[in-house]
Amino acid sequence: MTDTVAESIQELDQAQVLRTAAGSRRRRYLAVLLGWLVFIGLWWLLSLWVDSEARLPSPGRVFQEIVIILQGDFWTQFWASIVRVVAGFLAAVLIGTPVGFFMGRSKYWGNFLQSPVIVAGSIPGLTYAVMAFVVFGISFWGPVLAVGLIAMPYVAINVAEGVRGVDRRLVEMSTAYGRNETQVFRHVTVPSVLPFVFAGVRLSFSLAWKVGTLTEVFGSSKGIGFQIRRNYQLFNMPGVIAWVLLFVLFMLLIERFILVRLERRLFRWRQWEREA
Amino acid sequence: MTAAPVAIPEAPTPPGGVRRWLNSPVGAQVTAAVVFIGAWQLLTLIAPRVPGPIEVMQFLFVEITGGSHGGIVRGQFFEHFAITLQRFSLGLFFGFVSGLLVGILIGSSTLARALLNDTVLVLLTMPAFVWAFLTTMWFGITWQAPVLTVAFASFPFVAINVAQGVRAIAPELRHMSTAFEVGRWKHFRHLTVPAVAGYIFAGLRFAIIIGWNGILLSEWFSGQAGVGFRTRYWFDANRYRGFVGWVIVFIVFIVLVDRVILNRLQARAFRWRDQKEVDFIEIQEQQVGL
Repeated sequence: MTDTVAESIQELDQAQVLRTAAGSRRRRYLAVLLGWLVFIGLWWLLSLWVDSEARLPSPGRVFQEIVIILQGDFWTQFWASIVRVVAGFLAAVLIGTPVGFFMGRSKYWGNFLQSPVIVAGSIPGLTYAVMAFVVFGISFWGPVLAVGLIAMPYVAINVAEGVRGVDRRLVEMSTAYGRNETQVFRHVTVPSVLPFVFAGVRLSFSLAWKVGTLTEVFGSSKGIGFQIRRNYQLFNMPGVIAWVLLFVLFMLLIERFILVRLERRLFRWRQWEREA
Repeated sequence: MTAAPVAIPEAPTPPGGVRRWLNSPVGAQVTAAVVFIGAWQLLTLIAPRVPGPIEVMQFLFVEITGGSHGGIVRGQFFEHFAITLQRFSLGLFFGFVSGLLVGILIGSSTLARALLNDTVLVLLTMPAFVWAFLTTMWFGITWQAPVLTVAFASFPFVAINVAQGVRAIAPELRHMSTAFEVGRWKHFRHLTVPAVAGYIFAGLRFAIIIGWNGILLSEWFSGQAGVGFRTRYWFDANRYRGFVGWVIVFIVFIVLVDRVILNRLQARAFRWRDQKEVDFIEIQEQQVGL
C-alpha cells in the first residue's frame, strides 16, 4: 500500500517539475508571495474593523509578540516539547514494532490484534491527554505516554504491512544458500521492514504532535501547549496567536525539510529495486 | 502460510469444532475482546481508581435510562447528545461547503492555488484545541464556539482533498471531451462530477472525524451542555466511570458512522474505481487519525 503512495507522490512531483520548469517558476513564487501578502493584508483590515486587541490583534502586534518570544524562552519551551515528542515516538516504535511484527507474521495474531489496534487508533486525542494527566499528574511522562499511545497503532499497522511484504523469494534463496534464521532476519527482514517503521512515524507525526501539545495544555509546566494555555487563561490574544503561529511554522519546517528528505532517502532503494 | 479455516459452526460442541472456531478470524477477534476486557477488569484490582468495565456499563445504563446516580443527580444522555449533534451538523455544513468552494478554486486555477495553498496548509497544521481556545475568546461560552471549532477544524481537510480531486482529472479525458465538442454541462456531469466525487467523499469523511474530535474539545473547554461538557462534568466530579463511559459513547458513535455507514456508502458508490486511487485515499485517512 505504501509503495503505491510513494509512487503516486513521485509521479505528482515529476508532473509538477515538468509543468513549472524554468520560466513559470518565478511567476509561481511571486504568486505564493502575493498569497501571503493578501492573507496578511486581509487579516490587517479585519483587525482594523474589529478594533479590539483582545479579539483580533493586528499582524504587527502579533509579530512584536513573536519577536519577544524569540528573544525570550522560545528555545527552552520548544526543546521541552521536542524531547517529549521524540521520547513518545521512541516508545511507540519500541512497542509498535513487535506488535506489528506478530501481526504480519501470523494470520492468527493479525486477526487477534486487529480490532484492539483499530480501537486504539480511533480514541480521541483528548482521552489520551486526560488519561496521561490522571496517571502522571503534571509531569514529563504525560505527553510521552500520550504521544506513544497515539503513534503506536500507526507503527504497528505499517510494520505488519511491511512484514507481509517481505520478498518470499529472497528469504527462500537465503535459506537455500544456507543462511541461518538470524542472518535472514538481520539482512532481509530488518532492511525491508525499516522503511515501514519510518512510514508509521511519518503518518502519525502531525497527529502525535498535536496530541502531545494538547497533553501539555492539561498537565505540564513547560512546552508549547502549556504556553498556549497560559496565554489563553491570561486572555492574551496576541500571545496565543504568536505561539500558535510559531508552532505551525515549526511543524511545517520539520515536515518539509527533515521528514520528506529522510523519507526519500529511506525509500530510495525500493525505487531503485523497482526500476532494475 | 496456510489459510485459516473460515467455517464458523453455529454451535461449536465437538472439541475439534471449538478449536477450529478459536483459530478462525472471528474466533481470534472474540478471544482478543475477551482477553482485553478481562485485563481491564484485572487492572481495577491493582488500581482501584480505574473504573472497571462492569462499573462503566452500569454507569452508562443509568445515564441513558435517566435513572439516579445517587442523590439528585440524574442521568442525562439524550439531552446532551442531541445538542452536540445539532452543533456538529451545523459546523460540519459550514466547514464542508466552504472547503468545497475553496478546494474547487485551488484545484482549477493555478493562480488560486499559489495564492491559497499555503494558507490552507497552515490551517491544516493547527491543532483543534487552538480553535476551541480562539472561538471561546471570541464568543465566550456560547453555541457559536463549538460550531465554529468544527467548521474551522474540518475546512482545510475538505479543501485539500477536493483540490486534489479536481487536479487529478485525467488531462487526456479533458482534451478528448474538448476535441469532440462535448457540451459544458455534459462535461461537468459526466467527467468532473464522477472524477471528483470520490475525493469529495473522502473529504467529508475527514471532516466528520476531525470535526467530531473538535467538538469534544470545544465543549470540554467552553461548553454549557453537550457530550464534551458532560464528559468534563464527570471528570471534574472525580467520577472517572462517567468520564470513561462518555468517551466510549463518543468512540462508538464515530466508529459506527465511519466504518458502518460511510464505508458501505463509499464501497457502493465507487465500485468502479481503480484500487490505486482507493489506496491513496486510505493512506491519507490514516494520516488524519482513523
